[in-house]
This record gives sequence, structure tokens and C-alpha cells, in this order.
Amino acid sequence: MIRALALALPLAVALTATPPAHANVSEAVADHILPRVHSFAVQSRALSVNADADCTAEGVRPSFHNAFDAWMGISHLAFGPLEEEGRALAIAFWPDKRGMVAATVATLVAEEDDAVAEESAFAQVSVAGRGLFALERLLYDPAHAGYGRESYTCRLVQAIARDLSRMAGEIDRDWAAHGPLMLTAGEAGNTTYLAPKEAVQRLYTAMMAGLEFDADQRLGRPLGTFDRPRPERAEARRSARSLRNLVLSLEALRDLAVTLADGPVPATEAAFDQALAQAEDLQDPVFGSVAEPSGRLKVEIVQQSVRAIEAAVAAEIGVQLGVAAGFNSADGD
Amino acid sequence: MTTRRGFLVSLLASAALPRLSWADAGSPAYLAAAKEADGGHALFGLSRDGADLFRIPLPGRGHAATAHPSAPEAVAFARRPGTFALVIDCVTGQVAHRLESPAGTHFYGHGAFLAGGDLLCTTENHIETGAGRIGLWSRREGYARIGEIPSGGIGPHEILALPGDVLAVANGGIRTHPDHGREKLNLPTMRPNLAYVTPDGVEEVVTLSEELHRASIRHLASDGTLVGFAMQWQGDLPDPVPLLGLHRRGGAPVLYQADLAEQLAMEGYAGSVALAGDTVGITSPRGGRVHLFGMDGAFRGVARRADVCGLAPRGTGLMATDGMGGVLALDGAGVTPLALAARHWDNHLVPVG
Repeated sequence: MIRALALALPLAVALTATPPAHANVSEAVADHILPRVHSFAVQSRALSVNADADCTAEGVRPSFHNAFDAWMGISHLAFGPLEEEGRALAIAFWPDKRGMVAATVATLVAEEDDAVAEESAFAQVSVAGRGLFALERLLYDPAHAGYGRESYTCRLVQAIARDLSRMAGEIDRDWAAHGPLMLTAGEAGNTTYLAPKEAVQRLYTAMMAGLEFDADQRLGRPLGTFDRPRPERAEARRSARSLRNLVLSLEALRDLAVTLADGPVPATEAAFDQALAQAEDLQDPVFGSVAEPSGRLKVEIVQQSVRAIEAAVAAEIGVQLGVAAGFNSADGD
Repeated sequence: MTTRRGFLVSLLASAALPRLSWADAGSPAYLAAAKEADGGHALFGLSRDGADLFRIPLPGRGHAATAHPSAPEAVAFARRPGTFALVIDCVTGQVAHRLESPAGTHFYGHGAFLAGGDLLCTTENHIETGAGRIGLWSRREGYARIGEIPSGGIGPHEILALPGDVLAVANGGIRTHPDHGREKLNLPTMRPNLAYVTPDGVEEVVTLSEELHRASIRHLASDGTLVGFAMQWQGDLPDPVPLLGLHRRGGAPVLYQADLAEQLAMEGYAGSVALAGDTVGITSPRGGRVHLFGMDGAFRGVARRADVCGLAPRGTGLMATDGMGGVLALDGAGVTPLALAARHWDNHLVPVG
């Protein structure tokens, strides 16, 4: 059994005097994070309720999309509550380089694993067999098409939806405690954020990692190489969400960037606007166009524009807030 | 090689000076380099509780330091691919010697003392051939270069002195050329290993299976019996990648992994490894976490801390440093912040003595 080591109290050494918590952090928590984690909890709850009422693919797909949309609004907040108990990966296991989602889902179905009967048992299933991508398999993959209301697959769909609802509820609940931790960064007794700057740094790092993920994974994986484009690697292509996920992620990151900024950030906003406009112009929901040169070029241009956002954010917001990429994580040796 | 006259002078000098110990430098338990708030760099001596005991300015960003086993001397290495190392007198704060890697070679950033501290060993790249070398330097002769031996592989990174004057060498397997900075020139064919080397030659070479040939073995720790090695995956990550192994001389290496979600969260990168009591830990600054395992391979838990990298034993637990200036104690009771300073702790936390 894994457990996160509890942080012990209190600081043994008096810390250097620090300025009060950054105003922008409280805005980011109140206006960006809390409404979004709540929305994900609501949509996941709706998904579970709807799946219980009608477990067929046709019945579940609309609320699957709503929950996935809400997840894209918070997936970049990959610290604190999203990190507990491996939640982020249990919700969205991607990239999946070894086809573990397909294999795990196939095994669950073939063995009619009893874990679906019990919420606590299902929480112990491999992260590759849970969450939005396992659900996507069941709802969209021809291998599972047409499952009936009495089938094991139906019960598995309901179990995955319940598990998502549980995790989303826990994230919402845990953020109610983590938010205050960010706001009291540097105060005595706060052993998560030892200085006010650490909360700002946390949000900034999450934002940059989100942009990197969009460029390297969401766009980079289907792009592959010029000689070998890999359209089959596009994220959530079965449910035709690849482009939608990119756009929703960029919109969420834009919101965080503007909230966190300490003044006007024209270059950052222009960079986001450009990347979003180019992405929407693709009109290619699964990045299938990467397979031929002219289409590939357009997707590459979007990727360059996302990287340009990273540069603009570093130059404007990073400088304003006095934060930069991690000292050691950027070094690598 | 030193002249007879030079040798005598150095003997006289050492006879005339009182023999200093680490107690004269405040008995630091650890050494760590850091970037300071003003952008400068310094080497710090830290107490067991993470308090500053001394601060010595450095001319640039270092990678790791090596502590002499008894004398208050630290060898600070430039970042890879640096060509100099500084022997620092930790009592006076002065640079006692400046070591230059021989022409056609550069340092990799780590070193170790053998022969009770008389012999400094440094990991080096012979640039032309890419062969890994261990440079040998005589402390008695004012840290004169006295020879070199093969490291048993390519890209030797951390090096560790084991009982019996044996060196454990993490041959990372990656060939680089200073003309190309840190660019990796041989990823498709890289083959890292853990080698045991003495001044007389390579005694044992441990390699992992072919499918793990991109797992660069980079950092080491030992309790005297077992050697822990930490790895960094090169290239596209398969799911998931082992990052920690333990090896006992003559045996087969055993790889340790956390559960799938935690293992993936390390992002294929371990920055430091440490053994203490019945615990072995690795840090991932990229994943922002420390993984703790029992010696039996059981995953004991995770401590999350952004940009955490330095890791060393502290009693039966561990101590970690991070890029935000934090010093943390990790033990069975959890994680206790010990100190926070306005500086960025660099890659490694080096135990003294």
C-alpha cells in the first residue's frame, strides 16, 4: 500500500522573514482553480448518474464529453490534490506508449473482474484500466461496440464513471484545504509551501509544464518525425477529441496566465490568441492531416506557436513574478 | 610527476603545519553547492540539522563536491563538461589547489578519495576516443596528477569509494563532445554499466538487460555492502522505466520500482540516490518527488517537493535539498522542513566523513 508521507510539524528552524502571500495566488485559487475543480466534480457526478441510468455507449457519450471538457480545464494543475493517490493518471492515462489501456480494459472484460462491484476494489485496479481513456475505449472502440445493458461491459462503464466521480469529488474536497495552504505560503506551520514565492512558483511551473505537454505530447506525438508521422498517436482520437483537448488546454492555460500576471501581458495574450486561432483553423479534430506534408506543416506551425507562448510567458510573467523554471529540473545531470 | 625537491618541500610543509580536521571547519555533516540570490555561487558546509556552518564563494556553478575523509578539504567540480576542479580549504575558505583536467580530457563533475585520502580519483572523458577515465591525483604531492585508469565504460559520472580501496563507477554510457556541449552522440548504441575499479584495473562490470540500454546509470550510494545506483532514461519514455537498482558484489542487479502512477511521475529521471538504515531513496527534480524503498524492494512512500535533488543519509533517515533553498529531513515520521534559505541548492548533497 502506498502512502504519502505526512508532513511533520513544525519548522525546526526559524525561517527568514518573508513578504505576505502573493495577491495573484489568491486570485488564481479563487477565480481559476476552485470553480474549475468544482465543475469537474459536478460533471463527473453527472457522468456517473447518467451511466447508472443508461450505460449504453449512446447514453454515456454526451456526459463523457462534458466530464472530459471539465478535466481539460484542470489537468494542468498537476500538483497537490491531483497528485494524491496517482489521481491525475487514474483520470487520464495518456500518453499510453505500450497500449496499457487497451490491454488492461481487455483483461477486465475477458475475466469479468469482480472489482466493478465494489468502489473500493475498483480503486485498486491499475490506473491504465480506469478513468477517461478506459471509458473512451468502451464507448468508442469497435471491439466493445454494441454492448448490452446486462453485459459486464455495462457494469464496467458504470464502475469507471463512479470511480471518476469519486476522484473528482475528492479533488474538489482536497482543494478546499489546499487553497488555504497556497494562501498561507511561508507562514509558520505551513510545511507544504515554505515561502510565499513557492506558491507562485508552483502555479508558474504547472503552467509551463502544461504548455510543454501541449507542444511535446498533444502535438508532438501525432507529428512524430517528417519521415514517420504518427496520426494514430493523437490523444483521444477515438472520441475525436484531439484538437478539442488542445484548444481547451490552451484556453485554461491562458486563463491561468492572465490571472497570475502582475500587470498587462500583451505578448503572452497575443501568443495564446495566435496559437488558438491557428489550432481552430486546422479543422482537423484528430490531427489526421499530419500524414501528408501540407497538413503536417500546419500542425507544426501550431506547435511552434505553442512554444512561442512558453517564451512569451517566461519573458513577461516569469520576469514579473521573479520565477523561472526549476533550478535542478532544468539542469539535468 | 613531482620532483624530488618538490616532494621534500611538501613533506616539510605538512610537517610544519598542525594537522587540521573537519572539526576546525565547524564539523559539517554535509557539503552542498548553491546559487545565491545575487546570482553568485558558493559552497556551504551544513550541520546535521541543515544550518549553515560555512560559506565559501565559488567562481561559477558547480556540480558536486567531494569531501576529504579527514582533512577539511573539499574538491568542487565545475559543471560538465568543465575542465577544472578546485581543492578548497574549508577552514580558511581559500582555494588550495586548482586542478586542470589533462589536455584532451574534461571532468564529469564527481570525484572520490582512496587510500585514506591520499589519492583523489576524478571521472573524466578522453574526448578523442570517448573512453571513460579515472584520473588519479596525489594529495601528498599537492594534488599532482600521477596517472589515470580506464573507468570500464563511456561517460563515467558519479564515483564512490568502497571499503578495500575499490571504486564503484557509474558509467552513464553517453558519449559527448565538448564542441557539442551536452549533446548526446551515441544514444542508439549507448550501453551504461556499473563498474568496480581499483588502481590495478577493472574488477567487475555490471550491465542491465538490452532493453534497458537507454537507462543511463549516473549516481551512486553505498552502505559499504550494497551499492545503489540511480538512472536517467534517455529518449522517448516507455511506460514505466526503472530508475533505481541495488547491487551486491558478484551478484545480479535488482531493480526497484514504485506503482505505475508513481513510477511515471518520476519522468524517467533520478537525480540522486542515498542509502541509510534500511531505506534507499531517489530524488526526481523533474517529478518533484523523493521515492523511498525498503532494502527488500518494497515501495515505502513518496515525499513530494518541487525541484528536490540533493539526497544524503541522516541517521537512519535521509536529508534532501531542493532548488528553492529548502533542506528537509525524511524519516519514518514523515518529512520535516529543517531550513530554508534564499538560494538554490544545486544537484547534490554530499555527506562528510
